[in-house]
This record gives sequence, C-alpha cells and structure tokens, in this order.
Amino acid sequence: MGEGAIGNAYGHFPPPPPPPPQGGRELRHERESMCQSNNIYLPNLATIEAIVDETPDVRTLRLVFQDEQVRENFSFRAGQFAEYSAFGAGESTFCIASAPTRKGYIECCFRSVGRVTESLRRLEVGDTIGVRGPYGNSFPIEQFFGKSLVFIAGGIALPPLRTVIWNCLDLRDKFKDITIVYGARSEADLVYKRELAEWQQRDDVRLVKCVDPGGNGPDFDGKVGFVPNVLEEAAPSSENTVALVCGPPIMIKFTLPVLERLGFADDHIYTTLENRMKCGVGKCGRCNVGNVYVCKDGPVFTAGEVKAMSQEF
Amino acid sequence: MNAKANKNQSSCIEPSYYQAVTQAIRTQAVQVLKDGTVAGVVGYLPGRRKGTARPALITTPEEAEKLIFSPACVNNLSVYLTKSKKGVLKQGRIGIVAKGCDMRALAGLMGESQIKREDLFIIAVDCAGVYGSRAERSESVTEANIARKCHECTVHHPEGADFVAGAATELSGLTPLEAEEMARIEALPQAERWAFWKEHFSRCIRCMACRQVCPFCYCEQCLCDKNRPQAVENSPRPAGNTAWHIVRAMHLAGRCGGCAECERVCPMDIPLNLLNRRMAKELKELYDYEAGLAPAEKGPLNQYKEDDDQSFIK
Amino acid sequence: MPQIITEQNLRNLIDLLVKESKVVVGPKQADSVVLYQPLAAGSELTLDSLPRRSAKELFFPICENILSYQRLDGKMQVTDVDRSRFPETVLIGAPPCDAASPAILDAVFSWDYNDEFYLERRRKSTIVGIACTQGDDACFCTAVGLAPDTDTGSDLFLTPLKDGSYACKAVTEKGKALVDAHARLFGEAASADAAPFAEQGTEKLDLVKIKKWLEGHFEDPLWEKISDICVGCGSCAFICPACHCFDINDEGSTEQGSRRKHWDACGFSKFTNHASGHNPRDVQNKRYRNRIMHKFKYYDDKFGRTLCTGCGRCVRACPVGIDIAEILSTINAKQD
Repeated sequence: MGEGAIGNAYGHFPPPPPPPPQGGRELRHERESMCQSNNIYLPNLATIEAIVDETPDVRTLRLVFQDEQVRENFSFRAGQFAEYSAFGAGESTFCIASAPTRKGYIECCFRSVGRVTESLRRLEVGDTIGVRGPYGNSFPIEQFFGKSLVFIAGGIALPPLRTVIWNCLDLRDKFKDITIVYGARSEADLVYKRELAEWQQRDDVRLVKCVDPGGNGPDFDGKVGFVPNVLEEAAPSSENTVALVCGPPIMIKFTLPVLERLGFADDHIYTTLENRMKCGVGKCGRCNVGNVYVCKDGPVFTAGEVKAMSQEF
Repeated sequence: MNAKANKNQSSCIEPSYYQAVTQAIRTQAVQVLKDGTVAGVVGYLPGRRKGTARPALITTPEEAEKLIFSPACVNNLSVYLTKSKKGVLKQGRIGIVAKGCDMRALAGLMGESQIKREDLFIIAVDCAGVYGSRAERSESVTEANIARKCHECTVHHPEGADFVAGAATELSGLTPLEAEEMARIEALPQAERWAFWKEHFSRCIRCMACRQVCPFCYCEQCLCDKNRPQAVENSPRPAGNTAWHIVRAMHLAGRCGGCAECERVCPMDIPLNLLNRRMAKELKELYDYEAGLAPAEKGPLNQYKEDDDQSFIK
Repeated sequence: MPQIITEQNLRNLIDLLVKESKVVVGPKQADSVVLYQPLAAGSELTLDSLPRRSAKELFFPICENILSYQRLDGKMQVTDVDRSRFPETVLIGAPPCDAASPAILDAVFSWDYNDEFYLERRRKSTIVGIACTQGDDACFCTAVGLAPDTDTGSDLFLTPLKDGSYACKAVTEKGKALVDAHARLFGEAASADAAPFAEQGTEKLDLVKIKKWLEGHFEDPLWEKISDICVGCGSCAFICPACHCFDINDEGSTEQGSRRKHWDACGFSKFTNHASGHNPRDVQNKRYRNRIMHKFKYYDDKFGRTLCTGCGRCVRACPVGIDIAEILSTINAKQD
C-alpha cells in the first residue's frame, strides 16, 4: 500500500454531497480550499517561517505552504480551524490565528501541554509540519459591516479573535467603533504583546488590557481585575454592536451576564467553542455537544445557539 | 468461622444451594443497612435475561431484598472499591459480597493500601463455583458449565469475612483444565509457544475490558495511556497488543489474586489468566510467595532482600 | 418460483470467487471465537453462530494506515495510501443486523467530507446477507425496526429453507450481477418453505417515542442509575456494528512512520479530555448518556437513522451486564 509520493499535492475535492437527509444545520459557507488526493486525512506540508514566543509556554508559528499552488490558493475565513501535525506525534487542533486578509502565510498559536504541542514546540524555523484545513464555520464578518465591535478575550483565547481583529482592522472603514477587552492571569501570560502595543497606539481602536489581581508588575499600564468586571466597567455600548467573546469556560460564564446587562442580545454575541477533535470533519465522533458537532456546525456559535445546546461543556 | 469441615463432594450443585446463599446474603445485607453498619452494599442483582446477574450498588434495605447469588454472579466486585474505577468507598463503610477468589483481591488491595479492612463489611460466599463465560446457563452447575478457574479453586471456603453465606458442596472430580493447558503450552517449543500467543494477541481489539475489570489495575495513569513518552503503541496492532499484555502480566506478577476476570470479559477470548498464572508460578518458585492469601504490606517484587533468589540473572 | 442455491453450491460459489481473485469474507472459526475473516475455501464458512465482532471492520478496520511519512534528504515526504488497491470483496453470511450496518454508516462517512477509506471499500464490496435463524435472548433487532429476515443493506439475500438450501433474492444490481455471473450454481426451488426465523427477546420499541424522551431528558437520574456499574471499557463500542468513533495517531519516529486511524470508544475516560485537563464528559454516566444519545437521538437528528441494529453483541459482552435492550425498554415504558 501507499505508492506514489504525492507530498504537497493540492487541488480540489469532489463537490460536497448534498446536505444530510434530516436535521443538520446549514453550513455557513462553502469550503474553498481542496486537495488533489481524495484522502481527507492527508495534510498539506508547510514550512515554519518564523517562531514567536508569546509567553513562556505559548508559541506562534508562521507557516508557509511548500507547494506553490497551495500557497496561492489557500484561503480561509476568520474563525476557521485546522489540524496541525508534528510528524511522529500526531495532530492537534487550533484555530488559524492569522487574518485571512494577510496572504501568503498562516499562523497558529498554541500552549505546550500535550504530546503534539510539545513536539511542535521542538520544531525549528525551516522544519516541516502538516496542515489540514481550513475546517468549520467562521464569523460572519460581512454581517458585521456598519456595526461596532467589542472583542472580549481571556488568556490563550485571544488567537481565535485576533484573526477577526486583524481582518476587521484591515477593513477598518467598514466598521464603527472597535473595542478590545483582553485579560490574562498575569502580565507574562498576555499573548501578542507587540500587537497589544500597536492596538494601544491606534486611535481607531480602544484597547482595555487587564490582568488578574496580583498578576501585575509595577509598570503595568493596564487595568487590574477580572475580564467580566473590567468589561462592565468599560461599558461599551450595545447599540448596533456585536460582541465576540472567547476565553476559558469560567470567563465566558461570568461575561455573558455582563453583556446581557449591557444590552447585548444573544444573537449579537458570538463565541467559538473548542472541543477535543481528531478528524475535524464530522466523522470521529468526539467533539459533539449534544447533537451539535463543533467541528462542522461550529466552532463559531452565537450565545443563543450555545444556550440552546445540551449543557455538556 | 468457615466451613472447612464440610467437604461434601457432588457432581452437580443444585439451584437450592444458591437460593439458600441468596437468602443469607439478603438477610445480612438488610440488617447491616438497617442498623447503619454500612452505607451501601456492593452485590448482585438479577439481569433481564434468564440466568444472568449484574453488579449493583445498593443503599436501601428494600433494594437489598432483591440481591441474589447465583452461578451467574461471576464479577469480582472489589473493582468497585478502587478509586480509579468507581471509588464507592467515599460513601463510608461498604458491604461487599465476595467469593473466595474475590477475597484474594480484597486482601491484595488492603496490602497495597488501597482499601482498609475497617471500611469493609465482607459478606463472603462459600462458593461452589460460577458459570464459565459462554456456558449454557442451565439451572444447576456441573463440570460442563462451571468456569475454568473454578476447576482448581482452593478458596471455596473463605476466611476472614464478617459473615459467610452458605456452606458449600464442592463439585467432585473436576479436571484441572487450566493447569493442563499451561503444561501443554510450556511443553511447546518456543516458536510454537510464541505462535500461540501471537495468534491470540492478534485478535485483541484493545477494548481495555481486561484492565477495566481488574481490581489491581487501579493506576490513575495507565502506562498504556501515556504518550509522553509513549511506552506502548496506541493503535491496535499485534506488536502494541503484545506489548500491552506483557506489560500488564508483569505489572500483576505477585499481585494478581487469580479471579480471572480479565479472561472472562475478553470479547476475543484471549486466555489471559494463563499469563497471570504463569507469573504466579514464577513467584511461587522464586520467592515461595502466593498473592492475596493475606494482606501483605509488600509483595516480593516491591522489596529487596539480600538473600533474594538471583538465579534468573544469567 | 424463486431462485435457490444449495448449501454445497454456496460453498462452491465461495471457491469460485476466490479463484476469481476476489476476497471472500465470511464467518469463520478462529480458536474459540467466530470472526469475519477472509475465507480460503467455501468449506471454511460457518453459519451457526453470530461472529463475535461485527462486519463493520470490512469497511472500517480496527486500525489502518491513512498515510505514511518519511524524511528523505532532509525533506519530509508524505505518502498517500493507494486505495485503488483495496480488493474486490464479497461478504457472505452476514445476518440482517450486520448487513444493515454499512447502510447506516454510509451517512456519516459520506456527509460533507467523504472518507474514501470507507467508501472505496464499500464500492468494491458485495454483501450477501442471510436471514437469521439463531437469535438468543440478547437479540433485539425487531425492537429497532429490523427483523431476522430483513434484506436492508444486503445486495443478495439468502433465506434458509427447510430442505437446507437457500432462497435467493437479488436486492440490488450488484446482487443480481453476482447471481448472473454464476448462474449455473443457482436453481429453481421446488418448494420454498422457509426455516423458522430467530425469536427475539424483547418487545418492539417505539423509537420515535424513545427519541422524544431523550430530547427532554438530557439531565435525568436514569443516566446515573444505569451506568453506575459501568467500568468504562470499550468492548460494547468495539464489537458494535454501528459505533464509528475513531482516533488518529502517529506511530513512528519524527523521521518516518505512519498515521493510523483506529477504533475508539466514547466510554473511555480520556475520549473527550481536553489538553488543558478539562473534560466535558468527566464521569462515566455522561459518557454512557452520550452512547445512548448518539445511537438513538443524535445520529437520527443528523442522518435520519438509528445507530443500532439490535444485534445484542454489547448485551452479551458487557463485563458488568449492562443491557441496552433493557434500558430502551425502560425508556419506552416511561410516560414523560
């Protein structure tokens, strides 16, 4: 078995079959990137072009597809995820953390906690990793045109929103006010520090940066407090505004009531769910929350959709 | 307190014996639940299908009235006491229905500090034997349907329990099937012996039932689930399967009480107890040690003595 | 008069197919168990007991390579598996509970993304089902809408007759082609008295009602009650004809190795464990609830099918006697 190295072949899957006979939510948009082989588990190969250590254990990899065609044609939408493989260790699921408006590369950002992420961390610039994707639905950015945006993120959960933030900043005139509330346990745990500084400089973005009490050094220039409290204090207007929230379950739990108090309707609050995944394409049966497959029906959901799910997070 | 004197031998154990044991268990379980001696009882309830039984965690006298003991009560219930499996002990003192072979596991777990004697109320069964895993579930127990392990049982009459139900009649003239099979395999040339196990392990589907029912597989992080670094291949292929079963046999050496639950539950009929018995034999020869006869603080493989047999170093 | 095939000719058919270089898979004795295995000759076919593992492994093997990788001259190369080499396969002797399962699994392996490992094997296989005459008290196919004589999923369906031969029904074009290609082995029936079909241990269930109950009882004391004794092994899932969950793992070094897809089970404690240590299904009763929900609600929500054929394997194999048929009856009897 297994002749013919197809390496970084890239092209198109056959068209997707019609939607399932009953049930099943409509996919928010069509897949665009596809592979010559019909092996849905075959990754594209990418070279690590740059490595940035965001915190002592969180790392960003900038990846460039090795195949020219893939490099040119790979397109995705903010919010989608991919399966990244360290050969010999396996695959791990992260969102694509770079913005779809930045072409020629993608970035992923991960904390080193398991077998695959530890192996990914051992790789160096110039090494090869595998990338399958993009998978899942995305943030309906076109629907946000003409609205204000509030981004709320905690800790390592900024990457899934960072893709949207840059996407929107790259189309800045399409949106009204942009507010970013981002917090972490400590200063050291804040990711994308250079970008936070850049957003802070911009006069078309309002950045509210915070760390948990005790996590601040003497020179910390942000707020001290938990994200939900800091958000309540910042009190962004909910009028014609969409909120995008991403963070650990405990943060989400306390943030949603604050948003409600601020007047955000459930269908104006978006979040992305992260569940353990293996296939990423609706087969392997482990990312489901009730009958919702996070890999296919998500990972992006409105607060209303999340509330309607079986509460199994 | 046991009935060693009672050594009636017969060729068939009648259902009436199991009914008597059932009655004794019920009475005792109801009493210890009522008087607050225990918070719960781990016992057996009848299954839906005729001639079947299943484990049950009982907390009320009403439920205890439904407890049974029948030849279908094959499970070693001590697995429910270890914290990595079910950990029912956190509820307070627990009553447990135990056959002689199950009590060896209890002794072993006490020796390994997993459970304390004072946390248990042991309702032992003076046991004549239980069904083999795919045996005909006829009403009485005979040589034809008794479990293989029961052929060589040395613990029909358990000692050290808080209560013993029944005074068993043993089946007479049972052939020591397992010992014979062990002798047969040991007599095989090495290549054939290897082929025998290779064939069996190739069928393994890595469902982990052997591990999950084993009272001694209480590691919270099983070597087989570890992936940093990975010790045993995760995917069910013959090499990884073989590694898994060998690792497990080694880890149980000197600990396994011989309940043969691993073998009973294997959906692929891999004769796992042969491995355990082979290791037990080794321990007996090297250290004159038999696991689970009494709670022992340290088995021979977790201690060092200057006069340890070193003949295995070649 | 319907077409028939004698038992001897059925075995001859296997011999012929083997000669044609087809892989013929059927129930075969392997030590003390019967498994679906490639048959070298018709004489190896055993039709007197239900194989211990289901026939799903023909299409969805226990473990298979999905790619291999190797670093050559410092450059990582990934090699696909050549699926065109999957052999033409004829599955012979699958009872309705096994023959029906691929038709159920097609939905998940072909929605949105096509799993060609599964689908290529499906395209290249012909299923010869056989009516069941030997059920036991663990069987409950009739409870989930099948029956001992259901030809769903079979390409060619055999019904045992009292005289020892089999009535043949070509259910699909594939089945007809198989008969046409070996027409001389098939004859006309003199009489067509079917042998008695297997009896079932449980009453018929109202799957719609069960699903409705499940919809309203994600939280219910029942879950803890039925699964407090579950020890969390994977035997029920692995021998199930319909369970399709799998894991993907690399086996090998960073220099070379293969990526494998292999069976996994929702009963395992680590199945949904996040890297962070958080586990949405952190206790066994949540995992067991998922098993029931997936089979009788989620799969139906998504694909309009029940993920169970009532073969009873899990009932027979559960180390602690958890009886899914009994659980379904319990739910079926509930008023709210």
